Order: sequence, then structure tokens, then C-alpha cells
Amino acid sequence: MGLLNGNHPQFARLGRAIVWCVLGVSSAHAADWELSLDLRAVSSDGRKSFLEDGQGKLRFDEDHQGIQLGRLRAAWTQPLGEVFAAHIEASRWDDLDKNPIDLTEAYVEYRPYPRAGWRSRVRLGAFYPPMSLENRARGWETPYTLTPSAISSWVGEELRTIGIEGQFEWLGTRLGHDFDVQLTGAVFGWNDPAGTMLAQHGFALHDRQTTLFGRVGAPQSDPAESKKELFHEMDDRPGYYAGAQVRYLDRAVFNVLHYDNRADPTVESQELRDMAWKTRFDAMALRIETGGDWTLLVQAIEGYTEINPFRPLVWDFESQSVMLAKRWGKHLLAARYDSFEVEFDDRPAWTGSEDGNAWTAAYSYERDTHWRFALEWLQVESDVPARSIELGEPAFARESKLELSVRYLLGGST
Amino acid sequence: MSHRAQSTPCRWLRASLAIAFCAAAYAQAATFEVRVAKRDGQPLPGAVVTVERESAALGPAPPARAIMDQVNLAFAPDVLVIPVHSTIQFPNSDAVGHQVYSFSSARQFQLPLYRGKPYPPVQFDQPGVVTLGCNIHDNMLAYIVVTAAPWFGRADERGHWTAAEVPEGRYRVRVWHPLLNEPAGLERIVEVGTQPVTAEFRLTKTLRPAPLGSRPHSWDY
Repeated sequence: MGLLNGNHPQFARLGRAIVWCVLGVSSAHAADWELSLDLRAVSSDGRKSFLEDGQGKLRFDEDHQGIQLGRLRAAWTQPLGEVFAAHIEASRWDDLDKNPIDLTEAYVEYRPYPRAGWRSRVRLGAFYPPMSLENRARGWETPYTLTPSAISSWVGEELRTIGIEGQFEWLGTRLGHDFDVQLTGAVFGWNDPAGTMLAQHGFALHDRQTTLFGRVGAPQSDPAESKKELFHEMDDRPGYYAGAQVRYLDRAVFNVLHYDNRADPTVESQELRDMAWKTRFDAMALRIETGGDWTLLVQAIEGYTEINPFRPLVWDFESQSVMLAKRWGKHLLAARYDSFEVEFDDRPAWTGSEDGNAWTAAYSYERDTHWRFALEWLQVESDVPARSIELGEPAFARESKLELSVRYLLGGST
Repeated sequence: MSHRAQSTPCRWLRASLAIAFCAAAYAQAATFEVRVAKRDGQPLPGAVVTVERESAALGPAPPARAIMDQVNLAFAPDVLVIPVHSTIQFPNSDAVGHQVYSFSSARQFQLPLYRGKPYPPVQFDQPGVVTLGCNIHDNMLAYIVVTAAPWFGRADERGHWTAAEVPEGRYRVRVWHPLLNEPAGLERIVEVGTQPVTAEFRLTKTLRPAPLGSRPHSWDY
């Protein structure tokens, strides 16, 4: 795997190749673009955020209240001939990241017409693994709440498929049956640090997606600690995932995924000040929608992440989430419960371990294609031994926030 | 509503010949009504009705020119019934492109429909149900029923469909709807004499759930 060595230069080379490919073949069909600005008014009693080396679970902590930038986003979809398309997502989240604006996804998709009920699809580039049935809106956002579940928050923070993914789909609903079935497999690199954030601060509840060339929040204050840059190849070992999805008409979707980044946990990078984190998990999600515009969403994940500096150090993690939402035309109400747990070395009371749960309630009003208003209340309770062992704070914290979002979106075709 | 009487000279000629033939053969005709109800007795609007003669077969209705548009990321209409050898134009009223496809055995095709790029009409020469999809927008779904029957149409809001002047004889009546749990549809032989005839169909199984039409377009499938 000569392509999979080193850090950003090779990855950047792949990005440049994709961009040239896009520019070279892009003249035939109109491109679709979107620009959006999401501003927040925040009231929060959160502890110092994980984005600033704290053990707080929220993106906006006590010191980041008032008017905040939720997200500035630009997206571009360029058809390349009839069955290829390129998609690029760029975002700005806050002032603490490395780059003022950066990519969250960039890929080329091959999507030929189905034949005799079968369809294949291939994506090449950087994108999310297909496991969240929650983040189904533009820019990998959830339309139900401002803050996604603990599971999706973690995926947005630490995971990205940088590689190639293939899907094979049986379109039963187009053949008079009630079901569609889809199988997915991917091979990827440049995600060896995935797991380091989970071990450092556990799960969190936030809508900030780590950018491809950026890092998780502010620069690390301790020069001996991880640089919090997640999209690097460290051991020249590609990872993989395999998943399946079954859909009942357009009413229910059931998704399972097995993920393994196959990182070599003994490998260390001086430059990143981090090790390769061997992360493996199974995830499931079920989404049921009714004719009365109710949505039930259940998600679960279970896995572990491991490094081996002198002996294996293992963090087991799991999280579950249940959400119920009801839509009345342009109005949407949603309530969600999350529970999460990380256990280091089978020692629940030790630093690196945690146990917590969160309640979220949100109302949103999508006035038209341009304006969306949303209000969200979220409370997270967590027991994090590191707070008392390392920071001298009480291990238990109840953090809550009230957040108002005003988003304006512009879009069009060129 | 029946699609039998359509006002082009050719159709008038064919219709006149058919009537002359029928008049000579039977000298009598009657109003024929089909009523379609769900399992619970409520009417089934939009059900597709086709009526073919068993005795001394009549040819299909004259070919038509129909339109299947795309509006707000949905096909319009959701079901189209056409006689065999008809053509359908697929305009695109949306700002975004569509890739309309069918892999149904009755007619297979692929149409890249981009704004301002009209595509030649598609001809349908084989009877059957053609399922339409869009390769870009997976929740778009529509059906074209291609029929060799001389009488056909869709039931109204009351679940009724009526044809006037149906000559005396034995007829095979078929009822189909995209949400039927009997995918091949229902059928029955009905005798038409000199008096108005009503054929009542009642489904034995409940319908499949209707597509969730009101979901915001920006959400994925």
C-alpha cells in the first residue's frame, strides 16, 4: 500500500487528483451549489468544553454563551457525464480550528442506472460511513434536532471514510415487492487516530464535524498530548467496514455496520504525538416513519479502541439512543434519550472511563427553502472519574444548554 | 371516466367502424359501470380498470400521446394508463435534473432529463405495468399501465368508473392499483346485455401503505 503512507501530502495529492478529474469532465451538466449560515444564541452552564481540553460534554460551554457561529457551509455537486458526480462539502465551525474553512467531505460517486432490479454504486474520496439514519439532511446534519445523538456526534468527530466504498442494492420496491436490500463494503485509510478522542474525553453531544485537514477544536495546551488531528495514515494498514441495510417501502430502514480501522496499536507518530488507535465496533440503527408523520429512531453502537505502548490498553465503549419526532407540516418536535459508557481496562472508576446519559428536546420550523428556525434544550449527566483524578473537579456533572438557531440557506444551479 | 371516445378523425373512423360492426352483430349496447372498494368497503379512488371482450375480440383503443412530468421531485401523474403503441413525453418541470428509468419487462429505458434538454417521446408497444424510478431521487415512483383493452380508465373519488355504449357480450374486467397486495390485480368475467351493468370489486386484502409524500425533499430516502 504505497499510497497509504505518511500523512497529509498523499491525502492532498488524492484530493488534487479528484479536483482535476472534476474540472476535466464537468462541462456537460449543470452543477448544484448551496451556501448556508447558521447562527446560534446560546445559554449554557456546561463545564469547560472537550474542544478546549476540558471534560465538558457540550460544544458551547459556560464561557461560550451568547451569539455563536453554528456553521458556515458551502456545498457543490457537479455531475460528470451521466452516471458520475462529484460532491464537496466545506464548513467553518469556530475560530479554534487550524483552518478558517475546511472540507468535511469530498468524493466522486459512480451511480449507474439499475438493471433488472439491481444497482451498484461506488464512492471514492472522503465521506461518512453509512451508519447514521439520523443525519439525513444536507451537510450530514440531522433535521430533527440541532445536536445529533452521542453516537452521531462521535462519528462526526472521529470517523471519515477516506478510500473507496461499493454498494450493491436490490430494488425490490421497483419489482412489486415491499423491500429493498443493500450491501455495503469499503476499504479506507487515513483514519488511524480514530478512538483517541473517545479515550481522552469520552462521548460528547455536539454538531461539530471535524474537518479533513483540521483538528478537534483548540490546539492542545499540553505539548506532550495528541494534536487531535484524526485523518492520518500511520501504519500503512487499510481498514474496512461492511454493512447491510433493509428498507420496508419508504416506511422503515434497518441498518447494520461492522467497522474495523485495522490500525496497528503499537505504531506511534511523533509528529501527531499520538498512537495508532485500533478501533472496532458494530453499529445498528432502525428508523420507522408513519403516515401520521411520526418518526421513531433507535441506534446502538458497541466496540473498543486499543493502543499498545508497552502493554495493550483497551477502552470498551457503547452507546444507545432513542428518538421520537412528530412533524406538522413545517413544524417538527423531537425528543431523544442517549446513554453512553466508556470503560478503560475494565476499571469503571479509573481515568478514561465514564458513564452518562442525555435528554434532548427540540422544536424546528422550516419556513421555506431559505429560512429555518430551531430551539433546542439539552441536558447531559455524566460521571467522569478523570474530572476528579486529573482536574480536581467533582466527577459527576449535570450540564444543560438552551440554543436558538437561525439558518439561512441559498442554493441554485449553475 | 372512459378513454374510449377521443376526438381525432382516425379515432372517429375506427369508433364508427366498431359501432357499425357491433350494431350489425348485436344491435344492442349498455352502460357499464365498475365500482372498486377496499377491504373495509371504502371506495378505492384511482384504481385502474381495463375491459376486454372475450367473445369476438375488439382491438385496443387508438394510440395516444401522453405526458409524464416531474414536478417538485415527484412524477405527475403517479399513474398513467395508455393504449399500446402510445407515446409518452417526459418533460422536466423541476430545476434539478432527473434520471428516469424503467427495468420493467414491458418497456425498459433510461432518460437523462436535465433542464432545457427535451428528450424524444418514448413509445410503449407491449401491454403491462411499467414501473418508473429516478436514479438520483430514490423516492420518486410512478407507474404506466399499457393496455390492449378497448376500454380503460381510472376510478373517480367514489371508486367508480363508467363506460357508455358497451356492446352486448362477455368481458374480462381487470382492476389494478399500485398499492394492491395482489400484485397481478383482480379480474372477473362480466356479461353485458341490453341493460346497464354494474360490476363491484371488493379487495380481499388490505392495501400496502401509501408512499410518504409530505417528507421534505432535502431529507434523503
